[in-house]
Amino acid sequence: MKHSLILEVNGERHEIAVEASATLLHVLREDLDLIGPKKGCDSGGCGCCTILLDGRAVYSCMVFAMSAQGKKITTIEGLPKDGKLDPLQEAFIQSGAVQCGYCTSGMIMTAKEFLANSPAPGDPEIRRAISGNLCRCTGYHKTIDAIRTAAFSR
Amino acid sequence: MSKLNIVGHSVLRTDAYDKVTGGKGYTVNLRLPGMLHGKLLRSPHPHARVLRVDTSLAAKLPGVKAILTAADVPQIKYHPVYFSPSEAASMVRDMLILATTVRFAGEPVAAVAATRPEIAEEALELIRVDYEPLPAVFDATSAMQPGSPQIYEHAPKNIVMNPSFNFGDLQKGFEEADYVFENTYRTQRVHTCYMEPRVCVVDSDTSGNLTIWSSTQHIFGLREKLAFALGIPISKVRAVKPEYIGGGFGGKLDMGFLEPVAALLSLKTGRPVRIEHSRYEDFITTARNPFEVQMKTGVKKDGTFTARSAKSILDTGAHATHGAVVLMVHGFFGFLLPYRCPNQTWEGMTVYTNNIIGGGFRGYGAPQAAFAVESQIDEICDKLKLDPIEFRLKNAHVQGEPHPFDPNFTLSTYRLADCLEKGAKQIGWSKRLPVGASPGTKKRGIGFACQPLWVSGCMGFPDIYEHSGAILKLNVDGTVNLAIATVDMGCGQNTVLSQIVAEELGVPVTAIRVTHADTDTVPFDAPSHASRVTYSAGNAVKAAAASAKKRVFQVASGMLNTAPENLEIVDSRVQVMGTPANGISLADVVKRAESPYVKMVPDGMERSPIEEKGTIMGIACLAPSSNPSPSAVQFVEVEVDTETGEVKVLRVAYAHDIGKVINPSGAEGQVEGGFQQGLGYALMENLTFDPSSGACLAADFLNYKMPTAVEMPPEITSLWVESDEPTGPFGAKSLAEPCLIVPAPAIANAIYNAVGVRVRDLPITPEKILAALGKLDPA
Repeated sequence: MKHSLILEVNGERHEIAVEASATLLHVLREDLDLIGPKKGCDSGGCGCCTILLDGRAVYSCMVFAMSAQGKKITTIEGLPKDGKLDPLQEAFIQSGAVQCGYCTSGMIMTAKEFLANSPAPGDPEIRRAISGNLCRCTGYHKTIDAIRTAAFSR
Repeated sequence: MSKLNIVGHSVLRTDAYDKVTGGKGYTVNLRLPGMLHGKLLRSPHPHARVLRVDTSLAAKLPGVKAILTAADVPQIKYHPVYFSPSEAASMVRDMLILATTVRFAGEPVAAVAATRPEIAEEALELIRVDYEPLPAVFDATSAMQPGSPQIYEHAPKNIVMNPSFNFGDLQKGFEEADYVFENTYRTQRVHTCYMEPRVCVVDSDTSGNLTIWSSTQHIFGLREKLAFALGIPISKVRAVKPEYIGGGFGGKLDMGFLEPVAALLSLKTGRPVRIEHSRYEDFITTARNPFEVQMKTGVKKDGTFTARSAKSILDTGAHATHGAVVLMVHGFFGFLLPYRCPNQTWEGMTVYTNNIIGGGFRGYGAPQAAFAVESQIDEICDKLKLDPIEFRLKNAHVQGEPHPFDPNFTLSTYRLADCLEKGAKQIGWSKRLPVGASPGTKKRGIGFACQPLWVSGCMGFPDIYEHSGAILKLNVDGTVNLAIATVDMGCGQNTVLSQIVAEELGVPVTAIRVTHADTDTVPFDAPSHASRVTYSAGNAVKAAAASAKKRVFQVASGMLNTAPENLEIVDSRVQVMGTPANGISLADVVKRAESPYVKMVPDGMERSPIEEKGTIMGIACLAPSSNPSPSAVQFVEVEVDTETGEVKVLRVAYAHDIGKVINPSGAEGQVEGGFQQGLGYALMENLTFDPSSGACLAADFLNYKMPTAVEMPPEITSLWVESDEPTGPFGAKSLAEPCLIVPAPAIANAIYNAVGVRVRDLPITPEKILAALGKLDPA
């Protein structure tokens, strides 16, 4: 049985009908056709699905879509401002932090919240911040470079 | 060689912008109108006969459009491995799309296509399968014992392959030895952990033509294997190249069950069918084969090898698939070839068990061998008080020698010695303390391991494809389309190939557009595997660029009134060598070739020569002329907490002779990522199974421990020992795999230096270290 739901995603309002059991990840990808948040495990283990919910980085596969009503949802698609990439997105490109890119959206969203709360992070703090985002390609090295660059270019 | 403007520079990934803004190109995003969703029903039993499959209830579920059981699918035995022809003599065809005997827990027995994934899931629950469970066996050694369950009729004692090779006189070699060492090493099953799941969409038409999109490392292999398993002509299958995939690492180097099942469901329903693996399904689909390696080695007191023998047992699980070839790569490039020794014997056994199938994984049998070989050398040096660096040099191959595997090739560039020297200096090898001498409870140690000999692709290997081809098309706006079957799985293949084309053509790398490719329209390229893309596909794209350039000069020579040999392209400008002012833009040359033969001008009509007309393209299809060997050494410093057994890697120094480094930043990324995989392999990853049911106990990321950012060392230094490989594009060899082959033995050797503990089976967990230190109470 479907329930009607209003979601605010990247500043846009959407009216959709969803199953009570639908996750936010599922709804974002299948009902709203957003490709940014990715399914890596669908069980809260990898972080590929990370989005911001009222500014907090959460695994969208672990959030029921219906509980996201009334909250501000931001996906990677919502990061650029006035056609300009977010400094994190720019830094990921410049630092060589993108290989297969599947973890990238989740990494950037996690880093986005982290940097909002950490004015001058050291590398150990950055590592802990992204420890919930798995990556098999990069070894995290250039990912940390990118986050550090974005932090200190502010 | 003239100065290189693009090759050798850390050019930004050409697909990075797309990936940081959402990432459109993954197969996982594909949706087609009318698409159905397929799901596989998997056996819970590790070994069983399927007596009856009752699909009647499932068929009645609204939304279910098709159901398949073994009775509905072709019963053609195939092997799914992409890099080897379907009918290769050295491969074992023991797979069926859906079988009536299942041989591992998770083998599919039925499939459903429905209008929504949830309906397909529900339908699976309604399918009633009557199994007759059979006795199962879960380790290779037991599987070979008399009385063990016989998994296949064609493999007595469950041994599916048993090659052995002898060189020289082993007996004599051991007699000449001053010391003989015998040790056994064991490695575990680990999962590839590509982050984009295995996923495919197959569409069909009423004439039975199939189009398949799959997150795959090889579109031509997929086409070939799919056509073979379905029993249809190859021309009826078109496999579309994904723009890029979310990781492969060898785990997408074979056809799964999902692709032929989706194809059959599509043919049955007349609609596109999508099947995506859940993460659980990926965990039980592919893994690095576990090995047991029994080594006996004879050395002179100065460290010269006099005799080496090894027996390697590979557990290939329920189907041979990659197990046939992993064994050989392990035996040759892991054991027999890396060092010189006149008397060597190796025997390998690929053994069936009721475990999950072993697949491909970066290194492909060599990490398992390197763990054994490089650990044992360390043990020998420790016992005999020999310098481990000198030991390697004493037994190493020499540049200029014939290639140990194929004497038709030469070790034209071979720089192991330089790698050892550079790596040793970077890590501070001379300051290494004696074993266990580090003070305090957190003891530091330094160790290293080598992969002295490796491959740049598969040239020379029996039954393995190794050729490539590329098509370039020049556009009137000065850009260049590159159509090539090579799949970018994250290593940066698109970028490196673009760099090579750009350098050869004389245009900026931003002018290169890697475009659509499918098996109908581009030449064959072997898979993205075996460290081959830079060398092999790189040679093909370079040749294609040279071919396009010839045609550019033909057209331009008329426009500039000079012979084609006098022309060059610099920065998108076609100009006369020596007088650069005399030139025109490349775009104008292309426009000339593409414009009408007759042009209306204010005072009439203008004709340009007919010979100048026609799209400017460059096509090359070729095999590389050699298989040059890179050489790699990794030094690591670890810290072992003697109270908890925990191991931290503090620093890594990695020296690699890869010929010309095409993209330094990209190359570093490969090394850093390879270390994550190697670190996991060495210390924490373990795909475990219940010993009685074969059920997977670690099929999710909470139970399967893969290194996160926290576990990685803060310092990884990549040192490139550049050489100019005459047969490689701009002197390049290969990179991809050695950086994953060497970490485990390097870490094991560093642990020994730190605390005097030698662990010979992976992963080296805190429990094993504490037990070896005598700190665990006996249970």
